[in-house]
Amino acid sequence: MLAGMSEGCRTDEVVEMLRQEALFELPHDFGAGSDLFELGMDSMAVMQLIVIIEERWGVALGAEDASRENLGTPEKLAATIQARQ
Amino acid sequence: MKVDVLVIGGGSAGLAAAVTAARTGARTLLVERNGLLGGMGTAALVHTFCGLYLLDGDRAEIANPGISSEIAERMERATGLGPVKMGRVWVLPQHPVEFASLSDRLIREAGVDLLFHSELVSLEPGWRAEVVCRGARRVIEADSVIDASGDAVGAEFLMGAAEPTEAVRLQRPAYVCGVQGVSGELNSLELSGRIVEGMRAGALTKAALGMHFRASGRAGEIFGTLDLSGEEQGAYDPTDPACLSAIEVAGREVASQVVAYLRDHQRGWGGAYIAHWPIRAGVRESRRWRGRATLTGEEVLAGATHEDDVAWATWPLELRETNRGPKLRYLKDARAAGIPAGALQADGFERLFVAGRCLSCDHEAQASIRVMGTCFATGEAAGRMAVEGVPGGS
Repeated sequence: MLAGMSEGCRTDEVVEMLRQEALFELPHDFGAGSDLFELGMDSMAVMQLIVIIEERWGVALGAEDASRENLGTPEKLAATIQARQ
Repeated sequence: MKVDVLVIGGGSAGLAAAVTAARTGARTLLVERNGLLGGMGTAALVHTFCGLYLLDGDRAEIANPGISSEIAERMERATGLGPVKMGRVWVLPQHPVEFASLSDRLIREAGVDLLFHSELVSLEPGWRAEVVCRGARRVIEADSVIDASGDAVGAEFLMGAAEPTEAVRLQRPAYVCGVQGVSGELNSLELSGRIVEGMRAGALTKAALGMHFRASGRAGEIFGTLDLSGEEQGAYDPTDPACLSAIEVAGREVASQVVAYLRDHQRGWGGAYIAHWPIRAGVRESRRWRGRATLTGEEVLAGATHEDDVAWATWPLELRETNRGPKLRYLKDARAAGIPAGALQADGFERLFVAGRCLSCDHEAQASIRVMGTCFATGEAAGRMAVEGVPGGS
């Protein structure tokens, strides 16, 4: 099954969440593959993000998950959440 | 004591103002409440010079050549570290210990008279000021006064000259401490996750959220930075000593808890300890002067210029109205915005100038002009105006 079509967390939901939470300024062409760290996501924003993910999706990410590979883009983020749902 | 120029406050703005005034030959006195110069960059351990360079670009270009360039060059020589690009902005890592020492040398070379451990306790037009050191008063007469106190302290003695920001929107304070004993690479993302784990486990309070660590550039030394709500004891008021006291205590308490938690749970942190506390918490915003002109956030965002511009602001509006991380708003289609001379002149008073984070601007503009790189530039401009007069005006 395609990642974006599964029943778990979807990439578009992550994009929407990032728009709502406004942890950092998002450009107009912000999308599934945008590099969050390049857009200004720092270690402080990562903490906020982990807390928000737990509130929204009930997934408790921790230190081992906090990496560019796991959180770097909305797509990677959705995959990380899904893998833990 | 009689001087040509009295500078109140020896932070980044007051340092630049005093050096600039003294270099023109004016007899200049700098009054500072701590025992070292540099303000937020030394007493509060803020370890990055922001606002030194133009926005964007492939290389770091100094926005306000002059004393900013001199301080940047001396700092680079002292630390061996050059400018770094973070997203769209260039910053210069700075070390508080080096900043204090290079400030001493700048002041001595320029021939500035210096009174450490002194607080302003009165100011009357004309100008007559009183400072207090350990209970003993000293009278200073000056042709010109520059308020670079950060909190518009001079305005306290000239009724109605200052503008406080509403408590709910005030930029939150930062608490920075020095940490040593950590081995191996610093993985800031992993540390973020670890702190959240500590909160989940109930070992850390919500106040720990947002504490982050950065290498100081010196072997084995890192800085820990914590943004506080300022509401540890009622509404945030950075001019109320009871509020400031609660912030200092909360900063130490939360930072201690975080480092203790990481010592037990984070690889490489087994031998970590807090090596030094700041002299004071880092206040970002309090009162501002009402000037002949008031710079607005809209002007900064638009990269606006004015006929009487004396310095360039380049830093984005870095809003920290909560302690949940910064919100950055960048200048649109511009690499800098002009700061007019009028924003550095107190309204209704002659020969009274303002520099640094308490110059005349609105809350949004202050979120850009408060950074140390811009404070060097407004300090330099105020120092020049105090001696040579205002460009194109009285």
